[in-house]
Amino acid sequence: MSYRILCVDGDPAAREETVGSLRTELADIEPVIETAGSVAQAKSALTADTTVVITEYSLADGTGADVVAAADEVAPDAGCILYTDVDPETVDTDSFRGSVTEYVGKGSVFAVERLSQLVRTTIETGAQRSYPVPDSEGSRLAALRSYNLDSDELRSSLDRITNLAASHFEVDIASINIIDEHSQEFLACYGDARDWETMDRENSICTFTILEDEHVMAVEDVREDPRFASRSGGLIDLGIQSYLGANLVTPSGLVIGSLCVYDDKTRTFSANDKAYLRELAALAMEQIILHARLDSKIVVDGGEQ
Amino acid sequence: MSQEDDYTFAEGIPLAPIAPGTTVLVAGPPFSQAQQFARSMVVSGTDSGEGALFISTTMTSNRLLEACKKVYPALDTDQIGVVDCTGQEVGQADSDIAVKYVSTQNDLTGIGMRFSALYESMYAAASEGRVRTALISLSSMSMYVELRTLFQFAHTLSARIDSAGGLGVFALDPDSHDAQTVNTLSQIADGRIEVRESEDDADGELRVAGLTNQPREWTSFRLGDS
Repeated sequence: MSYRILCVDGDPAAREETVGSLRTELADIEPVIETAGSVAQAKSALTADTTVVITEYSLADGTGADVVAAADEVAPDAGCILYTDVDPETVDTDSFRGSVTEYVGKGSVFAVERLSQLVRTTIETGAQRSYPVPDSEGSRLAALRSYNLDSDELRSSLDRITNLAASHFEVDIASINIIDEHSQEFLACYGDARDWETMDRENSICTFTILEDEHVMAVEDVREDPRFASRSGGLIDLGIQSYLGANLVTPSGLVIGSLCVYDDKTRTFSANDKAYLRELAALAMEQIILHARLDSKIVVDGGEQ
Repeated sequence: MSQEDDYTFAEGIPLAPIAPGTTVLVAGPPFSQAQQFARSMVVSGTDSGEGALFISTTMTSNRLLEACKKVYPALDTDQIGVVDCTGQEVGQADSDIAVKYVSTQNDLTGIGMRFSALYESMYAAASEGRVRTALISLSSMSMYVELRTLFQFAHTLSARIDSAGGLGVFALDPDSHDAQTVNTLSQIADGRIEVRESEDDADGELRVAGLTNQPREWTSFRLGDS
C-alpha cells in the first residue's frame, strides 16, 4: 500500500528540509511525498488518495485553514497537521470551521521527530477519521481485495437478492454495498439505488454496520441516531429515513460489506426481520465465494482455491 | 507481563502497569468518583517526574488543581499542564501551572492546537518524555459538539498520545448517553475501566475490559487522602 503525503510550505528551503527529514524517518514505509508552495498548488495536488497533509499556517494566497478545508473536500479521511512557527494562540481557529487538525511547532527541539512520529501514527491508525474502523481493518481490506467483484454475472446474481430483500421488506430501495478503505461502493442495487454513485465512507451507514458483533444493524430514524443525525439531511434526500443492514461475512469472519434495505419513513425492525436479512446476506456472500471459486485460480480468503 | 517503561499507579489503585501509547476510557456516573479516579491515574506519575496534562471541561484550572491536591497533597505543580475549556476565570490561574485557555468547548481546533503545543513543551520537560493526559470529560464535550466530530477529536488525541508513547485517560458518564454514543466513543480507547460506588468504606470499585492482566471483576480502590 502506498501512502501519499502532501507537504505545503511557501518557503522552498523549509519545505525541502521537512521533506528530507520525512524521507529519512519514514524510509521503511516509502511514502510518496508531494509538495506545494501555496493554497492553489495544494488544491491541485490533493487527490482522494492523499493520506496526510502537512501545511504551514501562513501562505502567500491564504492560510493552512484553506488547505485543510480543501483536504476535507477531496480526501476526507486524510490527516491534517499544521507544521508552523506561528503560535497557536494567534491562529484564527474559527477559520478551520471545526476541522480537527494536529499542530506541531516548527521551532521545537523535537519538531522533526514529533512530526515524523505523528505522520506515522496518523497513517497507521487513520487518526482524524470521523468514524471507527474494525480492529481487523487490514485483514478485512485484504479479504475484500481477494474477491473478483467486477463481474456482470455476479452482479446479476446479487441483483436478484436485492430484489428479494426489497420485496420482502416492501421498500423501494435496497443494495449490496462494499466498504473499501475510504469509500462505499454499490455492488448490486434495487430501485433508486441504481443511480447512486460511490459514497465517502464517513457518510455511509454501513461503515457502522460492519462493526456490529451480531452482524446486523437497524436504524429506526436517521435523525434520531447520534451517529447519523448530522448527516440525516443528505440521507433523507436519498430516501433513507430508516435502515436495516446485515453483513457479508467471509469464511474467516471478516466483513467486506453489507446487504441493506432502506425506507423513506421511520420504521422499526423485528428480530425476525433481522434474521431474514442475515440469511439473505449469507446467501449473497455464498454467491461471491462461489463466483470466486469458479473464476480462474484466484486464491480467495480462507486459502481456498 | 509488564515492561519496565509501562505506566504504574499509586498504591490504592489496583491496576497493573499499562503500556505506553495506551488510551483508556474511565466510565462511571458523576457520584462514583470516576472523574477523581481519572485524575488520580494521571497525577500518579508526577512523583517520578512524568508530566500530567489535563483537558478540563468541567473544572477551572484552579478547581482542578485543588481536586488533584486532595489525592496528592505534595503535588509538584511544575509538572501539571491544563487546557482550561470552561470559559471561566480566563487568565486567573493562581499557581505556576502551565495553563492555556479556550473560551468554549466547541472550539475543537483551538483545544487540539493548545493541547498539542502544551504536550510538546511538557514532552521536552518530563522525565524521558513521559506525559499522561486526562480528558475530563467526553460527556461534557458531547453537549457542545456532535458525536462524529467528538469522535474525530478524541481519536486524533489518542493518536498523538500513542505516537508520543504517552498514557491517555478519557472520562465518560455512560448514563448520560445512548448506547450508540457510548459504543462509538468506546472505539477510541484500547480499554475501558468501569467505576462505581463502593458498598464498603473504599472510595469506589473498578473493573477493566479490553486490557490484559487487569481486574475483570469489581475490585475496591482508594484515592490518596480523599
